[in-house]
Amino acid sequence: MLAAQPWQLALTAVAVVVGFVLGVQVRTERSIETNLQVTSGRLGEVAYRYRQVEARQAALRSRLAELRQEIADEEQQAAAGREATAALAADLAQLRTLSGLTPVHGPGVLVVIADSTRPLKPGEDPNLVLIHYSDVHAVVATLFAAGAEAVAVNGERVVGTTGIACVGTTILCNARRLAPPYRIEAIGDPHVLLAAAVARGGILDELRAFGFPVAVTAESDVRLPAYTGTFVHQFATPVETGR
Amino acid sequence: MVIPILGLLAGLALGLLVSFQVPLTYVKYSAIAILAAVDTLLGGVRAQYEARFDLRVFLSGFVVNTVFAAGLTALGDLLGLDIYLGAVVAFSIRIFNNIGFIRRDLLGLVWKAAPLEAGET
Repeated sequence: MLAAQPWQLALTAVAVVVGFVLGVQVRTERSIETNLQVTSGRLGEVAYRYRQVEARQAALRSRLAELRQEIADEEQQAAAGREATAALAADLAQLRTLSGLTPVHGPGVLVVIADSTRPLKPGEDPNLVLIHYSDVHAVVATLFAAGAEAVAVNGERVVGTTGIACVGTTILCNARRLAPPYRIEAIGDPHVLLAAAVARGGILDELRAFGFPVAVTAESDVRLPAYTGTFVHQFATPVETGR
Repeated sequence: MVIPILGLLAGLALGLLVSFQVPLTYVKYSAIAILAAVDTLLGGVRAQYEARFDLRVFLSGFVVNTVFAAGLTALGDLLGLDIYLGAVVAFSIRIFNNIGFIRRDLLGLVWKAAPLEAGET
């Protein structure tokens, strides 16, 4: 049986093929088992689960992208909001200061005027020795005109709606009674304010001439309280201005 | 008969050594095809022992059996039916049959006795 016969060749050829395929199959199956921990018969199930997991992953990924976008949007909005808030806060602080709602301090002048101590002559009008609301008003107006940034009379802050009026024998400022002596404090350039206050022909010059005690001093640090009253805008409404 | 066995072992060694792998999609089909091929191989061996080996029958059986076994499995997958189970059962039975006959043939050769009657196990 040394000479190769057809049956021998055929059997050997088929045997080699079968052996080869068998070997490959065994290796494939083993690699599947070691890698996936399942037999090849359950590959379909594994594939199904894999697709499911993949789909879920894709969904989660898109959700993640969505959430990231949302976070970015929110952050942007918050940043814009913060900027707007900061700008508004700065505006508000400035407006509060300008409108007299905050206590302020700074260099300025102190003007003190009081009723005259001169005894009245018989038959003389007592108004001649009293400080009138118009005198106080004139001093305040003079100081503002000279560039005062904040003024208070006897600790009562003068704001845009402050009225100084005479009711009977008392002076009202911010609807509060004032009593002599009148301490009028102003914040601004002390030299300018002082010069304006004592100017010839000015209100203080006039008062002094009529014998009223007048004292004007420059102060390095004047402290003014905040306006404690209310602002009522019942009739005045802002006019819409076009851009 | 030694040469085919050596061929089988050589093929097996080669298959275990090469890095080629059956694509995962076809693992099931190749497994059934291998079952069919083994059955054909054993049938050829048996035919050889019974001195009725026909090259055409053997080769055609090898090709057709493997292809049909794999094809049947693929059809079963298309239908969602485990037809390959049928192929597994059929080929397994035939493999056992062939092994049984080969065993008896070998026994007959070794003991120089008359071939046993078919059907006896």
